[in-house]
Amino acid sequence: MTPPAVLAPAVSLVIGSGSVKCAAALGVMKVLSEAGIAIDRVVGCSAGALFASLVALKYDTVSAIDITLQTWTKDLTSKPSRIGYLRLLAPKIFGFKPDNFALRDDSSMLERLHSVFGDRRIEDTPIPLHITATDFATGDLVEITRGRIVDGIRASLALPLAFSPVRLDGRLLVDGYLADPLPLSVAMKHGSGVIVGVGFESPYQENITSAGRFAFQLSAILANNLLKSKLAFHGMAHHSEVIMILPDFKQRIRLFDTAKVPYIVEQGEQAALQQLPYLRELLAVEQAAPRAAAA
Amino acid sequence: METSITERDTVTVVAIRGSVDSLNAEQLTTAFAVPIQAGRTRLVADFGAVTYTSSAGLRSLLATVKDCRRLGGDLRIAALQPQVERVLSISGFTSIIKIFSDCEGAVESFRAAT
Repeated sequence: MTPPAVLAPAVSLVIGSGSVKCAAALGVMKVLSEAGIAIDRVVGCSAGALFASLVALKYDTVSAIDITLQTWTKDLTSKPSRIGYLRLLAPKIFGFKPDNFALRDDSSMLERLHSVFGDRRIEDTPIPLHITATDFATGDLVEITRGRIVDGIRASLALPLAFSPVRLDGRLLVDGYLADPLPLSVAMKHGSGVIVGVGFESPYQENITSAGRFAFQLSAILANNLLKSKLAFHGMAHHSEVIMILPDFKQRIRLFDTAKVPYIVEQGEQAALQQLPYLRELLAVEQAAPRAAAA
Repeated sequence: METSITERDTVTVVAIRGSVDSLNAEQLTTAFAVPIQAGRTRLVADFGAVTYTSSAGLRSLLATVKDCRRLGGDLRIAALQPQVERVLSISGFTSIIKIFSDCEGAVESFRAAT
């Protein structure tokens, strides 16, 4: 009788929202890869969706860093949407609708996402990919598992007020962090065992000198409280283990600190290395358990 | 992970050393259960030598704090190391469990309540 094939140990990777800090997931990916630990599923939210897509397409760390340096630059949001400001000031005259309201032009973002992902589709990635967004009508978490990667990331990155919501499959979608900044639930629902969660708290503003910063502060308060409450629930509800990777950034990371990407990746790597001995031991036990039960 | 129990009047201090995770969470739950079953429900978990806690470790703490409170006592945590405190904070635990900077303060907090 042929013995059953021995599968490589594997984890599911969930990358939360966190702007350029999500690049830390590339350091985590590197550590897992070098340790011979496979990723059986990857979930990404907001900027985490961009990195989850790179992981799902099996980019190596060096190429993924290079793509990040080229993609995540300040001019991504630097172009204002004039019609957006007019719709803000005179909504009736300029035809305000939830579908079209944005204060920033997204053409640069779409162009860059296209240059990286082209027409590649979520359902065709070598590692199963799940991108999350939020249903604007109901507030529900929406799991995007089909369609173009570009459209999924754009929906997940629909930062309120900055970028317009995206209509996909009849639903109007906004940034995934509004439903859950670290969507562990998606991996849990699909039967994942050991989950590695890469999460980030939103930074609080140092000086609030404008309405925009005021709004960012409110958003950070809500997002951080949501992160904690969701994480508490998911940690309690999961049948297996959730290993949290919380990179400790000594340097303040701003939204478009692209120059700090190598540092961010290194911090992700360091945080993952700290968890590696336990992760190895845990996966060895998890792998042995089904065989012992079957014996 | 290793645990040791000392009794300080009506308070039981469970000192924990090492990593608290799914490989030993049951062992920790059992260590807490021993005093609870003996009717000692005022517990202090001394985390001074805990280097890591995972979601399984948090589940053990939650089960214990619920048992203690149901029986009129409490579980309080002392001497958290920064990296462990971060995990407890981001998981919402610091909002439901009383945390003290040292073991003496945690023990004293029970005395103050009597």
